[in-house]
Amino acid sequence: MSTNINLLLRIDEASLKRKKRIKILNFIAFMLLIGVGVISLIIFLLIQITNVPSIKQEQDDIIRKISQSQDKRAKLFIVNSRINSVQEILGKRKDLSKTINTMLEKIPNRLSVEGLEIDDKVISLRAESASLFVIGEFIDNLTDMVRKKEIISSLTLDSLVFDEKKNSYQVSIRSEL
Amino acid sequence: MSEKINVDLKSLKFIFDRNKFYILPVVILLSCIVLFSQFIIPQFETLLMVREEAKEASLKLETLKESLNILVNTSEDSLDSQLKILNLALPLNKDFEGILNSIYYASQKTGVKLGSFSVQIGDLSEAKNNEKFSTISISLPIDAGVAAVNSFVEIINNTVPLSEVSVIKIGDKTSTINLSFYYKPLGSSKSSEDIRINPISKKGLSLINKLTGFDNISYSFPKLPGATSSGY
Repeated sequence: MSTNINLLLRIDEASLKRKKRIKILNFIAFMLLIGVGVISLIIFLLIQITNVPSIKQEQDDIIRKISQSQDKRAKLFIVNSRINSVQEILGKRKDLSKTINTMLEKIPNRLSVEGLEIDDKVISLRAESASLFVIGEFIDNLTDMVRKKEIISSLTLDSLVFDEKKNSYQVSIRSEL
Repeated sequence: MSEKINVDLKSLKFIFDRNKFYILPVVILLSCIVLFSQFIIPQFETLLMVREEAKEASLKLETLKESLNILVNTSEDSLDSQLKILNLALPLNKDFEGILNSIYYASQKTGVKLGSFSVQIGDLSEAKNNEKFSTISISLPIDAGVAAVNSFVEIINNTVPLSEVSVIKIGDKTSTINLSFYYKPLGSSKSSEDIRINPISKKGLSLINKLTGFDNISYSFPKLPGATSSGY
């Protein structure tokens, strides 16, 4: 009869499995602990590297230097603001003299201007001539301008009358700019 | 019927002995979870915040450096001259002297005869700090024909203080033009070091040069000590 029968063999197998499981669990736990520590350390170092106070210190130094040139700064600001305003004025104001000059160029020699009224929207003109042909030429010129959209966008013939006393035709037109 | 569970000390010791090796790793795991949620996540949020703060501070620092550089490279004499030219073109207040001078200058230059006119100056101490400019309107009777009136308008358009002719009426005997002279008081500005200082642009410099070419009877235009001395 054998006296060396190992009755604990099954128990040892289970125990080994348990030990192995504990070992893996221990390993995971320690790795996790180290991981948490390393991540924490890295974040801490990154925060320390990002040196905001030194940037702020530099900012304060520059602000101090800028404030020493406060007058120059104010003048520069005003100059820029004035430039913008002047640019805006020059950009928006209408040059009525240019409009009148262009209109006068279209007036035939034998037509005399009796009256002219212009604002930023409308130009009205009264003229007279002894010749209907000259008046017709004038109207043709203006019609061309409207067609080419040169300064005026519309043309209305307000009146065309014959003045017996002056022996001349008087024409009155109105155009939109 | 409730069943009684008999747990004696021996059994508890057996259970403890059997599972005691699990206690340490489980405690460590739980600690890690607690550490992660309570420390690492807030620490990470702090890191993001600090980095954002640093980025903003760096940008602000760059702006300040640029502003300082602009100020250092800008000549104060040049600025004074430029400011004087601009203030002649667009006065800070109701410059009736400048207005009358420019009207008479234009009439003399074109040879037109002016009729009587009045200028409503209003409250000289009035300070409108709105963004848009204010104007002084004048209705000016002129004893001249189309060509002379047109010359007058051309001259006044190229004279400072800046003005705008809004209406021209030319009649048989007399003509009238409606003029508006611009002025703009200094507006209040938020003075903060954080606001970027802009140099005078090339467009601005050419505008100032253009203005020096305008007629001006009130004062002589100051010489620009190197209009580009601001370096921009």
